[in-house]
Amino acid sequence: MLSLCISLPRRAATIFVVLKIIAASALGASGSDKSAAPKTDIASLLQVQSDVQKLLPQVRLALVAIQTGGGTASGVIISPDGLLLTAAHVPGGPGKEMRIILEDGSVTTAKSLGLDKTTDAALAQLKKRDKPWPFVNLSREVIKAQPGEWCFALGHPGGFDKSRGPVLRVGKIVKQTANSLHTDCVLMGGDSGGPLFNFQGEVIGIHSQIWENRDQNVHVSMAPFLRSWDAMQKSEVIKTWGIGAGGYLGVATRMSDDAELEVADVIDGSPAQKAGIHAGDVIVGLNGSAMTDQPQFTATVRARAAGDTIMLKLRSSGKERIVSVKLAQKPQEEGQ
Amino acid sequence: MTRLKGVRKLLSAILLFSVSFLHAEGSRPTLPPDQRTNGKHTLTAVEKLKPLTIECSARIESLLGRAICAATIVGEDGYVLIKASEVPDLGKVRIKFGDGRITDLREVHRETRLDLVLAQAVGANGLRAVSFGAARSLTMGQWLCSVAETGKEPRIGTVSARIRRIPGTGAALGIRMAEKSAVGDKGVRIIGIASESPAEAAGLQENDVLLAIASEFVGQFRQVHDIVNKRQPGDVIEVRYLRKDKEETCRVRLASRTKVLQNWEGEDFANGGISLRTDNFPEVLQHDIPLLPTDMGGPVATLEGKVVGINIARVDRVTTFALPVEAFWMEAQQWIQADRHPPKAVLAQ
Repeated sequence: MLSLCISLPRRAATIFVVLKIIAASALGASGSDKSAAPKTDIASLLQVQSDVQKLLPQVRLALVAIQTGGGTASGVIISPDGLLLTAAHVPGGPGKEMRIILEDGSVTTAKSLGLDKTTDAALAQLKKRDKPWPFVNLSREVIKAQPGEWCFALGHPGGFDKSRGPVLRVGKIVKQTANSLHTDCVLMGGDSGGPLFNFQGEVIGIHSQIWENRDQNVHVSMAPFLRSWDAMQKSEVIKTWGIGAGGYLGVATRMSDDAELEVADVIDGSPAQKAGIHAGDVIVGLNGSAMTDQPQFTATVRARAAGDTIMLKLRSSGKERIVSVKLAQKPQEEGQ
Repeated sequence: MTRLKGVRKLLSAILLFSVSFLHAEGSRPTLPPDQRTNGKHTLTAVEKLKPLTIECSARIESLLGRAICAATIVGEDGYVLIKASEVPDLGKVRIKFGDGRITDLREVHRETRLDLVLAQAVGANGLRAVSFGAARSLTMGQWLCSVAETGKEPRIGTVSARIRRIPGTGAALGIRMAEKSAVGDKGVRIIGIASESPAEAAGLQENDVLLAIASEFVGQFRQVHDIVNKRQPGDVIEVRYLRKDKEETCRVRLASRTKVLQNWEGEDFANGGISLRTDNFPEVLQHDIPLLPTDMGGPVATLEGKVVGINIARVDRVTTFALPVEAFWMEAQQWIQADRHPPKAVLAQ
């Protein structure tokens, strides 16, 4: 796997050997042809062609090339006032100034807002200007996208090239996961942050990573963008979703008869158990803040990353005590 | 060098995270390979184009039968067009047609500017020649069909960027050299080799000391640059070098400079490698058909079966260049005509 924000020569990792093995086990397993899908004919291919060619003149105007200190990448404008989607590894952090080249070659700047480092989603704001920016809509229904559906990718592979312009790739969705889309639209360095479109001309993904094989191209889906939208607009950096839902404590809670937050159960082997937390303990506070209800408590724990240490104020048999717990990663098969 | 290391660390961190991330999600429904853009199911759509594409191409192979590149048949009496930089010496290759016939090739005309060579398959007749359409009117998103797997299978993709000229950047060996001469004022030490580069392919190694290139003695890295800069991608040069006090020689085929530099550590992920010559073309049609360097020289057609170009360079993971028909066909017809009807010998007075 290689993230796609490169362009300076001699800048990348020597990770080929490892990749081939892992890629095969991660993506190559489900290759059996069980379903009898309808065979494609020339008429249906020509329909795809005419759909793409109809959308292209408008949507390509929203594509931008992004130049940072470290390399070149892509991005897409999604509002008339200049909100920009890209990949988190492009700016690397909030408040970063980036050079932006529009489709017609004109140059401006943008500042990165927040980013979700766990899924590689990021938001940026173009410099204000008098007239509205060309933009595309993003899909709020990306979850409905199915393997086999046609899609197309735009970007500036290798960096902005005025005589070449943006580069199109037409392909199919291979797989959707909680946070990503995999397609056979082939990507490479410089594409990072560029848009993947559905046939309504909506952005469904942002180019993020590739594996060795041509069919192994990974895009951040719109799901994490929508989920983290408010935080990203506030220039926050999210690094706590991890594989699942951020920091994991391992307790189930309930509201007691006295309307206090109480530990209902402690999961075996969890950080909570190791810290000596027991069912029946009342949770009074976390890191100095009073804890009064379940949603507040859950949100507070999950807002911290695995590996973070929290101080819990507990009460049992009328005695208060403070325990320190190092949060772990939630043990689960599927990401959420 | 330290900066480079930092970058490497960063990328491996991203890699490690992503691995666990993907592993956790292996059970999602996945589109079987057959149904992907270039899977069997999708390709049934272009099955009936075979007579107009696959049957109008042939395979160029070494005398031992190793695939070298493809050829496009342009005359039923055996005329074919081939990517010139892949076949510097037609005496060392032969052509194999779809029906299994194998013949020798006679060079008719070599045009380095276009990276094309017109040849005739000796004794071949009754071949099926391509029917040319127009390329310059095609726009992005237009489907194209090409020939892969040494001329046996179709592949599809779309026009993916503007038709344009690709300037040349010269040739390269793919080595970094020490600034000081190796022995007194003689020899240039190699201190780094680019991955998948001409130097690597020829077996050169770090610490080898270059003594002579193309029969010119070298004592400064600038001399090596000068000798290489005078040549074209695809050209072969003889390199004499010292390894562990033993003098040896090898032959290196030069490649386009830009791509050697960009792929220094194998970061291109090009799958199957790229062509030696990837630039210095008067005009190219860019498409995203998944092809190999050995597929270059084959025809690229519209879904109507009109051939609009000849694949001329596999450039990187996302890019293949084809020479659009308008860039070569007028000229190539004249080469064929001149060869079919050579001027009559004039009697000496």
